[in-house]
Amino acid sequence: MNKNNNKRPHYLNPYFGGVLLGLLVIATFYITGRGLGASGAVKSTVVETVETLAPQHAESSPYYSKYIPKDTSPMNNWLVFESFGVLLGGLLSGVIYGRVKKFRVEHGAHTTSAKRLVFAVLGGVLFGFGSQFGRGCTSGAALVGSASFSFGGVIVLISIFGTGYAVAYFFRKLWI
Amino acid sequence: MGPLIPNDIITGDWNFVIAILIGIAFGFILEASGFSSSRNLAGVFYGYNFVVLRVFFTAVIVAMVGLLYFDYFGWLDLSKIFILPTFLSPMILGGVIMGVGFVMGGFCPGTSFTGIAIGKTDALFFAIGLFLGIFIFGEAYPYFANFYNSGNMGNVTLTDVTGIAAPWFALGFTVIALAAFWVTAEIEKKVRKNMKEYKF
Amino acid sequence: MNRNYLFLTLLMLVLAIGTFFIKKDDVYKNQIKPETLLQVITQPSRYVTTDQVAKRIIEKDPTLELIDVRLPGDFDKFTLPDAINVPLKDIFTDKGQDNLGIEDLNVVFFSNDDIIADQAWVIATRLGYKNMYVMKGGLNCWIETIINPTMPPETASEIEFEQFRFRKAASLYFTGGSTTQPVSVTKAKVKVRRKKKEKAASGGC
Repeated sequence: MNKNNNKRPHYLNPYFGGVLLGLLVIATFYITGRGLGASGAVKSTVVETVETLAPQHAESSPYYSKYIPKDTSPMNNWLVFESFGVLLGGLLSGVIYGRVKKFRVEHGAHTTSAKRLVFAVLGGVLFGFGSQFGRGCTSGAALVGSASFSFGGVIVLISIFGTGYAVAYFFRKLWI
Repeated sequence: MGPLIPNDIITGDWNFVIAILIGIAFGFILEASGFSSSRNLAGVFYGYNFVVLRVFFTAVIVAMVGLLYFDYFGWLDLSKIFILPTFLSPMILGGVIMGVGFVMGGFCPGTSFTGIAIGKTDALFFAIGLFLGIFIFGEAYPYFANFYNSGNMGNVTLTDVTGIAAPWFALGFTVIALAAFWVTAEIEKKVRKNMKEYKF
Repeated sequence: MNRNYLFLTLLMLVLAIGTFFIKKDDVYKNQIKPETLLQVITQPSRYVTTDQVAKRIIEKDPTLELIDVRLPGDFDKFTLPDAINVPLKDIFTDKGQDNLGIEDLNVVFFSNDDIIADQAWVIATRLGYKNMYVMKGGLNCWIETIINPTMPPETASEIEFEQFRFRKAASLYFTGGSTTQPVSVTKAKVKVRRKKKEKAASGGC
């Protein structure tokens, strides 16, 4: 391992990163009174797509119609702009630490790229589906929800990580 | 004084500029902490990399304790911030589904965005999956609309539910998190000895 | 490295325990600032005259809410038409405050003189309520000017005579001279709104 020392990716000290993230959560509450989020932006994108392709279907759907604002596009949403910022911020950090490269797949030693991609999509489907029931994902519900003492936030937090540990064994081939 | 926008100290026009700036900070912190790599993230479930636990729980306890101090100094009125509403059973189910998705996909929505930013195809596929998942949910919504809206407890806090004051939760989370940091550091050392091919 | 982490662990613990000592009294959270209070107290604009009150009662002004801050015993003996009894000490209770801060209603406090009514006004203002007035001179002045008005001297101006004529008519109205209609006064739609609920930010993931 020492041999590879110079190739080790350079990351922030995790506790320092955590303090920064915690302060960012406070700052976000201080400025906007609300929290960070990510899955909400994908939801807006879904609603926008459905509305563009099948406006009548979107209007009549009891779910999409809740998220179609009257006088503006579903994409004209705080979380969409914030998530766009997340992309920029990730890019900025990637450039600074030299991690931006052409598209590649990262996978565990005992699996293939194709398999990794299939499971990435499946995981994404489940995560997207579950985030609707959970009223948010790890950032919006678990992190910000718990930090603001929301009962539901803590429920989602415990539920995500508890399940993660419970099922980790069955997917170990993907990662170790 | 705060929150600034709901109190009209900053006008709503700035809302989207601020959204992008906050997003940039969020994305930067996630990427710089190593959250753009699915192997780093999944490591928390296999004991070889606890970066998720460290960053996540440090953030939670700093924010919890910090919000209480902000409220005390009058900088932030905690009664005016958004409290995530609680829908008990749908949220438990949602968390379970997301937990499985997390282990399978190796990302969560926010981290997949940073993964895309630095060129991870798996992150891109995960985000496509997210899109599909929400689309499927939207299409199938009428079948479980009742369940989706069940167990609504409103925008309740831990204190509302249990009657225990917020500082107890802040202290409880802090103690658990700090203990977990020390314990997992030891676990990580042991597990890593057996893994050679993974660059940390 | 381990020593640094030990230090940080202790620091975080101390900060978390510190949150136990910073609880503040929520009861006084919505009170207005002392400077603001001082400013409004020194303004005479909170006083309304007995004539103005009488006029609004006669006109059955639906936005008028009369609050008698004397003791219930005095209230039972004599009070103004449609007045509500909220003794001074009850202003502090939720029940007493149910009558305050109702949208579109102007509260007028009164007592025998205007001293107790003034105290009620200051307390309620400090608690953050708005649209409140004090009847200048209280019920003593009411009796003197409205119920038993004195004829102005011959040399008085026309305005004073005008006022006297109004008071004489009002006196008749209040002492039962007006036998005409036992009208049920329609008050403004009472939306009980104990405290203005300030807008919380909306959001969600």
